[in-house]
Amino acid sequence: MSSLLERRGLRDLAVVQVTSGDEIKRGGHQTRWLNVVAANAMPTGATFALVWLATVSLVVINYFVPFNLVSLIYMLPVVVAATQWGVGPGILAAFAGAAAADFFFYPPLYSFWIRDPQNVVDLVLFLLIAVVTSNLAARLKNEAVALRRREKEIGELHAFSQGLATCLTGRDLIFAVQDYLSNTLRYRAVLIATEQDDHAVGDAAAVPPEIRQEAVKLIAAGASAASTLRDPRSGRAWLVRLIAPEILGYGAIAVELGDGAGEPAEVMARRVESLLDEATLTLKHLKTKEAIEQATINYQTEILRDALVGGISHELRTPLASILGSCSVLNRIPAVRDDRQSRELVEAINEQAGSLDNEIRNLLNATRISAKGVRPQLLWTDPTDIVGAAVKQKERKLAAHRITLEIAREVPLVHVDTVLVEQALGQLLENAAKYSPPGSEIKINSRCEDGCVILSVQDQGVGLTADEKGQLGRRSFRGRGRAVGASGSGLGLWIASTFIAANGGSLHAESRGLDLGTTMSLRLPTVSADTPALVGALDD
Amino acid sequence: MTKVLVIDDEAQIRRFLRAGFELHGFSVIEAENAAAGLKAATMGAVDLIILDLNLPDLEGSEVLERIRSWSNIPVIVLSIHTDEHEKVRLLRLGADDYVVKPFGISELLARSDAALRRHLRSTNRDPVVRAGPLSIDLVSRVVTLDGKRVQLTRKEYALLHGLATHVGLVVTHQQLIREIWGGHAGNIQYLRILVRKLRQKIETDATQPRLIVSESGVGYRLEQGEPGIAPGRRGASSDTFCA
Repeated sequence: MSSLLERRGLRDLAVVQVTSGDEIKRGGHQTRWLNVVAANAMPTGATFALVWLATVSLVVINYFVPFNLVSLIYMLPVVVAATQWGVGPGILAAFAGAAAADFFFYPPLYSFWIRDPQNVVDLVLFLLIAVVTSNLAARLKNEAVALRRREKEIGELHAFSQGLATCLTGRDLIFAVQDYLSNTLRYRAVLIATEQDDHAVGDAAAVPPEIRQEAVKLIAAGASAASTLRDPRSGRAWLVRLIAPEILGYGAIAVELGDGAGEPAEVMARRVESLLDEATLTLKHLKTKEAIEQATINYQTEILRDALVGGISHELRTPLASILGSCSVLNRIPAVRDDRQSRELVEAINEQAGSLDNEIRNLLNATRISAKGVRPQLLWTDPTDIVGAAVKQKERKLAAHRITLEIAREVPLVHVDTVLVEQALGQLLENAAKYSPPGSEIKINSRCEDGCVILSVQDQGVGLTADEKGQLGRRSFRGRGRAVGASGSGLGLWIASTFIAANGGSLHAESRGLDLGTTMSLRLPTVSADTPALVGALDD
Repeated sequence: MTKVLVIDDEAQIRRFLRAGFELHGFSVIEAENAAAGLKAATMGAVDLIILDLNLPDLEGSEVLERIRSWSNIPVIVLSIHTDEHEKVRLLRLGADDYVVKPFGISELLARSDAALRRHLRSTNRDPVVRAGPLSIDLVSRVVTLDGKRVQLTRKEYALLHGLATHVGLVVTHQQLIREIWGGHAGNIQYLRILVRKLRQKIETDATQPRLIVSESGVGYRLEQGEPGIAPGRRGASSDTFCA
């Protein structure tokens, strides 16, 4: 440990600690008695005043009423002093009352002698009851105070937990904890984390650099004791202590104790420490550390995801756009166009770059779906246009196949996000081309059935087994196409089914068996199918 | 020689655009940021601007607005994002068309061609628009398909007129609805049905439209077909290789 201390420079800290501690202590010796007297002067004076008031009242009462109310009246200052200022003033009031009764009311008057033994018994009984009463009253008062404090604490805790619920980032949470501690301790508290980046530090600017430096040293050394330091510039005292790892992982708390004008810093430090222990326990129960960590992770994940999505969009797709664009130019240059070998090479580059771009787009879509879900922008659309756009989108991939369209003439309009449905249908077309032999037929069918518009893609390919049909639509399902050399991440179909589901539709697969082809269908709900009425409205 | 200004911060993109445009008889000026682009647009007599939206110094849409404040040079916007709302916004700001990256040079050439022709027509006052087998006389309102006259209702003609004045370029749904129904009473459902009816009259197969194509979530485009404005510079309809 000592070597660790040396290495971490704790020795310096210890020196600083001792000197500043001594300074505070020396100052403390001179002011302690004064402080005690100052703190007790008010209750003492007030107690005497109460007893005096009782005496005056008794003199007045005795003048009019001949009853003996002496011990009863002197009980009042005792009760008041005990409830207001505690046991000490209560007992003081009891003895002062007893002395005053003896001096002013028990014969011989104006002397402390008592002639009647009955009066002696009265006085002793009075003292006994007064002491017991002041104890009871003081305890009652303490409980009332504790109750009030507890109520306040619960209120603060409630506010704090509500604050926690609204915190989005780890940084917010650290600030919330800091506020809570400041409220509980009644001093400004600042959390200091080990990491130097701003995200982990509560409010670095609020702490003087010297105090901060010591705190960092303290953290580095893992010292468990608290230390009271004085900021050389402002002369204000700070308590610096490691904070329980359950709260801030690995960090310290600095509490500003003030300039030491009131209580000695040492006393304050002790009180703050015990309060801190209590608050720490509460924070432990609230699993603050986990909440902060989780919030930090969520925040960073979000940033990372945004960076990734933005970065991929720009940094990867821009070069691909250059490659694909250059290919399209190369293909128009006569020297390349007329040379079979060059043309084939350009075509290979083009094809591969195109697939890469497609995969990136799939990844982006998948990331967006996972992060934010799909938010379709619904628009009335002619299913014919969806088919047309999907075919055009996959034109190149479908070039080797015979495409047949079977489109019913009066298919109702659908209320969908056109772009999403097109992408989904495009994916079905791409899969059909991928998993069926070149030259075979791919049939696209669009019809209306049971109040739904159905867009289906039928191929002559490898087909699906019952097992594969069940797995369809999982996030990375891939058919046996892999065996015949088709590439892809398998994200496409998952994205397609997610897009269709977001539009209130569903994706279905039919296959009569292996090598008998597959029919994939998109089923889209039609909200209103009153096309004839619309047509009527359009006639001139 | 037609002068095209390419504003894009990616050197590789500029390089292939230069090659592609020069191969088709354009002369190319390059600008690597908005400031240089705006300067070049004001200094040199530019016929066409290709504007990338992702510029280091200024938002692409801001550049577009600035250009539009003093000129109606055809502008085609390039973007890596495919958000439909953004496309519609850019078209409303005055872009003639957009092309989403990655794209083939023939797609951009076709758009450029259409934008240049539209610009030329507005100065030439040539009343006849041709799109494949279709010909639309904007003055006499006569529509012929393979030389045979086609009878259209008033709204069908209004739709075709809206598309024909921007032949080869995308026209937003809202713009068409406004032109046909005058800003009220129209909606996208009406437009879809009207397009379907028009297609039945002018397309060879209305279920596989070739002339009026839909731009998802944005609008429609009347494909201009093969003929170009100058020999050796024409827009092919697709990027299919080994034709």
